[in-house]
Amino acid sequence: MTRLDATRLLVRSLGEDAKTPVIASLGHPAYDLFAAGDRPANFYTWGSMGLASSMGLGLAMARPDLRVVILDGDGSLLMNLGSLATIGWTRPKNLVLIVWDNQSYATTGGQDTATAHGADLAAAAAAMGIQQSVTVRTPADFEAAVARTTAMAGPWVIVAKVEESPPASKPPLDCVLIKHRFMAAIM
Amino acid sequence: MTTGQSRADGVAWAAGVCAGLAAAGVTHVVYVPDNPLSHVLSELEKYPRIRTTLATREEEAFGIAAGLYLGGVQPAVMLQSSGLGNSLNALTSLVLPYQVPMLILISMRGDAGEWNSAQVPMGKAVAPILDAMGIPHTTVSSAEATAATVELMARTAFETRLSGACLLPRRLTAPSVQAQAHA
Repeated sequence: MTRLDATRLLVRSLGEDAKTPVIASLGHPAYDLFAAGDRPANFYTWGSMGLASSMGLGLAMARPDLRVVILDGDGSLLMNLGSLATIGWTRPKNLVLIVWDNQSYATTGGQDTATAHGADLAAAAAAMGIQQSVTVRTPADFEAAVARTTAMAGPWVIVAKVEESPPASKPPLDCVLIKHRFMAAIM
Repeated sequence: MTTGQSRADGVAWAAGVCAGLAAAGVTHVVYVPDNPLSHVLSELEKYPRIRTTLATREEEAFGIAAGLYLGGVQPAVMLQSSGLGNSLNALTSLVLPYQVPMLILISMRGDAGEWNSAQVPMGKAVAPILDAMGIPHTTVSSAEATAATVELMARTAFETRLSGACLLPRRLTAPSVQAQAHA
């Protein structure tokens, strides 16, 4: 399962749902989200590596009526592991943190991350009190895990082991435009 | 906790911070604690409409606050000056380019009255760093002026979508420094 394949499955699971926010970490997760299906409720970050899960937490607390989906990377989450502790403490039921774990810093040239050498992000999430933490390796398991997030209370952490796939397109570069259309879409 | 500050007058500045936050419509404060800010947190218990979230690190606090704003909340971030260094990438690559406004409350270390030399370099650098990023900032001059200063900076931030900072100097927040200044 490549990251783009999995991203397409996620976008397909949203169907015509124009309101569910999806916040993507910078670089390849954001590029693939755009390629899989641009929609105003997608928030593409262009910087702030590591903070996608924190942004998702803030949004989940502000908008308990929405299911907040975050597309993070293993390298990005490793940069802000404390976020798992804060999510584990605050436990927003509507937070779905998906971690594309390709075991590398793919956007910067493919250097290994610690997950290539034994670090287990789902176990870390569980250790921080996030009970709904799973690792998936196949498209079927990923789809099933995403489907469960609509039926059962979170917070969820889904670590999806993915293969790297070269991104083919990039989202809009206008940060303020991204923000305005996102906020209008989820209002 | 014993700080030497009496509830009657010593925490007037902290009450002012909370009144200013409430007047400006701030409803969520994300923070990394420090000793003076504990007075603000105590005072905030009088404001049930203002929620608080403790972050593990200042950069995380700015990320959480950005998400709150995207969800329609007017947020504030409270930190000690030492944590501004931990925040720079969040500020320069998220808060500023996306025009995500928030009030930034900085409890100062390293300014007049400091006793810990390890706090001095960052303390001296806070204002130049904020200037370099183009973040407006003001230093709260007295307990009496705190509420109005905080409210004005917060209102300006939310209306212009440019985050702004209020600096809380030790002569305001540290009782030992207050005693010396008034001796």
